[in-house]
Amino acid sequence: MDFRFSDDQLTLATSVRDYLSGTHGPEVLRHLDEAGPRDPAIWQGLVDMGLTGLLVPEAHGGLGMGLIEAALIAAECGRACLAEPLVDTAFVGVPWLLSQGQTDGLADVVAGTRKLAPAHAINPWVADGDGDALVSVDPLRKLTVRVERSRDTAAQGVSTSLDANGAGDDYLLNLGALMSAAQLVGLADAMLHQAVEYAKLRTQFGQPIGAFQGIKHQLASCSVAIEFAKPVVWRAAAALQDGLASAAAHVSHAKLAASDAAMLTAETAIQVHGAMGYTYEVDLHFWMKRSWALCGAWGDRAFHLKRIDDAVLGGSLPIGPEHTFA
Amino acid sequence: MQLVYTAEQQAFRAEVRAWMEAHVPKEPLVTLECREGYDQHVEWERTLASGNWGMVTWPEAYGGRGLDLIQWLIFEEEYFRAGGPNRANQNGIFLLGPTIMEFGTEEQKARFLTPMAKGEVIWAQAWSEPGAGSDMAAIQSKAVRNGDHYVITGQKTWSSRAAFADWGFGIFRTDPDSTRHKGLTFILFDLNSPGITRRPIRQLHGDTGFAELFFDEVRVPVENCLAGEGQGWNVAMATAGFERGLMLRSPGRFQATAKRLVELYRQHADHAAPSAREAVVQAWGAAQAYAYNTYAVAAKIMAGGKIGAEASLNKIFWSELDRSMHRTAMQLLGAAAELKRFDDGRINQWLEGYIFSLSGPVYAGSNEVQRNITAERLLGLPRVGAG
Ligand SMILES: Cc1cc2nc3c(=O)[nH]c(=O)nc-3n(C[C@H](O)[C@H](O)[C@H](O)COP(=O)(O)OP(=O)(O)OC[C@H]3O[C@@H](n4cnc5c(N)ncnc54)[C@H](O)[C@@H]3O)c2cc1C
Repeated sequence: MDFRFSDDQLTLATSVRDYLSGTHGPEVLRHLDEAGPRDPAIWQGLVDMGLTGLLVPEAHGGLGMGLIEAALIAAECGRACLAEPLVDTAFVGVPWLLSQGQTDGLADVVAGTRKLAPAHAINPWVADGDGDALVSVDPLRKLTVRVERSRDTAAQGVSTSLDANGAGDDYLLNLGALMSAAQLVGLADAMLHQAVEYAKLRTQFGQPIGAFQGIKHQLASCSVAIEFAKPVVWRAAAALQDGLASAAAHVSHAKLAASDAAMLTAETAIQVHGAMGYTYEVDLHFWMKRSWALCGAWGDRAFHLKRIDDAVLGGSLPIGPEHTFA
Repeated sequence: MQLVYTAEQQAFRAEVRAWMEAHVPKEPLVTLECREGYDQHVEWERTLASGNWGMVTWPEAYGGRGLDLIQWLIFEEEYFRAGGPNRANQNGIFLLGPTIMEFGTEEQKARFLTPMAKGEVIWAQAWSEPGAGSDMAAIQSKAVRNGDHYVITGQKTWSSRAAFADWGFGIFRTDPDSTRHKGLTFILFDLNSPGITRRPIRQLHGDTGFAELFFDEVRVPVENCLAGEGQGWNVAMATAGFERGLMLRSPGRFQATAKRLVELYRQHADHAAPSAREAVVQAWGAAQAYAYNTYAVAAKIMAGGKIGAEASLNKIFWSELDRSMHRTAMQLLGAAAELKRFDDGRINQWLEGYIFSLSGPVYAGSNEVQRNITAERLLGLPRVGAG
């Protein structure tokens, strides 16, 4: 029993964080939002770090790591508000394909030439980085209606696949929900950070607004929500990785806790920014909108609450002090 | 990240479970906050000690079992699973004990830890004063050095169990010219020393949970000072770290409450509000989250890490969770929530628990103060104007 990341896992996460903060700052988000051309070097950098093959077995040219590492990196993708389909491709699509025994084409995924846009019955649309059938509040999230996906849309020479196949599969749903939860804690961390930095800089009544308790306490409450959502996400990743029968309940718990923390932090961050937070100019809105989108994707609040309810009140999940890791 | 127990840990759990099932009183004890209940709880401390369960993490030489923090968590889980009573000596074993372990001399460890683990000496914490609550650096009670003794004069208040306990640990101003955090010293004293007057204070629920202590030239040997004169503030902050960060409220307590809440919900499902149903589900989730976090803190400490300001997050989380679980229970009970005993004679433990849960956000450093600490030390917000 050791509820800690290994040094290797932490080093990996730090290197991803450093890479993204160096190459994928808010200016990239602004540029893409203004319909500027995508810089292929960013994706290539992720590929070069081996991240597209993170979960691909070594025999197929990947790193052969597990969902715990993937969740840790998904949180970094959330922190950076990453506008590349790394999570869907490598942390949702790949493990699902592996679970289906589908290993053809994994080499292309590892090489970064094949991106995956997983479709599932829980999601009425697919975020494939390409579609324009529906417009998301998140300007960097391109959506295609799921039924339309049956006619294959090849994006910029990169095949996006997986749709239709994943229909109602629970494992795929759990992967999508878990990785959304992981991104949400990263997004929440980033929003809290932006609000804290703003609160240190902005002065009113002759002092930084961050010196007012009304501001401090709101931000502290976000910190509580985020720090107590994180271990739930890691625990869910371990449960899904280990194939526990209870994994679905733990994934739903993670999605719920992470969504609630992100929603609270988004609202608080706006409030702390005052009218600045209500502008398009302050980058906060990218993180906030991604959070809103991910809160509803891969099962909304009601869906996940119901799954936990079924397990806890329904009695299928053993509860009580002696069942911490049931 | 390895979230499975070893065979050894499972065997330990089985051992604790068997002992608890055989020894935990079948009927709940009378509340710890009155003489009769206090005596019952002290009796229970001694029963625990007879099984060598007083404080499992301490070295065997001090009445412990030399176990690690994961085993401590397993012990606590089984303790609460079995419905073990509140620990009369919680201020000793969870707060003072670890502090003595860190700052005490060998002589002090030998002298104080074993009787603590064995439930022979029950401890009260005497920090707060009428003018020094949240602002503990405003402490005024004095300890004046006179040869090989300190002479203590002043007043402490809100000292839990001090009406009945044997010894106290307090913080006193030893440097008369000092102000605020400087010049304070951490001193252990016999509550039966001449010159100490205890005045029990009646709490919200009507019982005597805590007491005021008046010191009138109380003589305490200098060897009862912990970590040296003038070190009081640093020592107290370490104690507060144990209190908030790990020991005082182990997760088993809240997981047990969440489980009872689920059972209560089932009995009241036909007339429960949908919001209560969600609150019950969330209670399970929050208690679990608290447990995961505690396992993470334990792993960190076992790897040589320390509890820092994040202890404040912990304190906010468990105290607000406890209050919200009991509030939900009161809602589910409806009209029966007001009864001290149900019509079948059972004590309404939800009411008692709800009342007690209202003190959680106040004691061990109020949650407002914890939010200040979180904002300033974890998030790095400025201190100016903090009040
Ligand atoms: C059940 C119970 C058991 C206790 N047991 C013990 C014990 O065993 N030993 C012991 O020494 N003490 C004990 N205490 C006392 C406890 O530590 C104090 O109550 C606590 O430190 C708060 O101090 P206070 O009561 O003087 O409140 P105050 O400090 O007067 O606070 C009143 C209100 O003002 C707020 N406030 C104060 N300062 C600030 C600030 N800077 N920013 C924002 N808000 C602020 C507080 O949060 C609180 O809401 C116990 C208290 C209770 C309720």
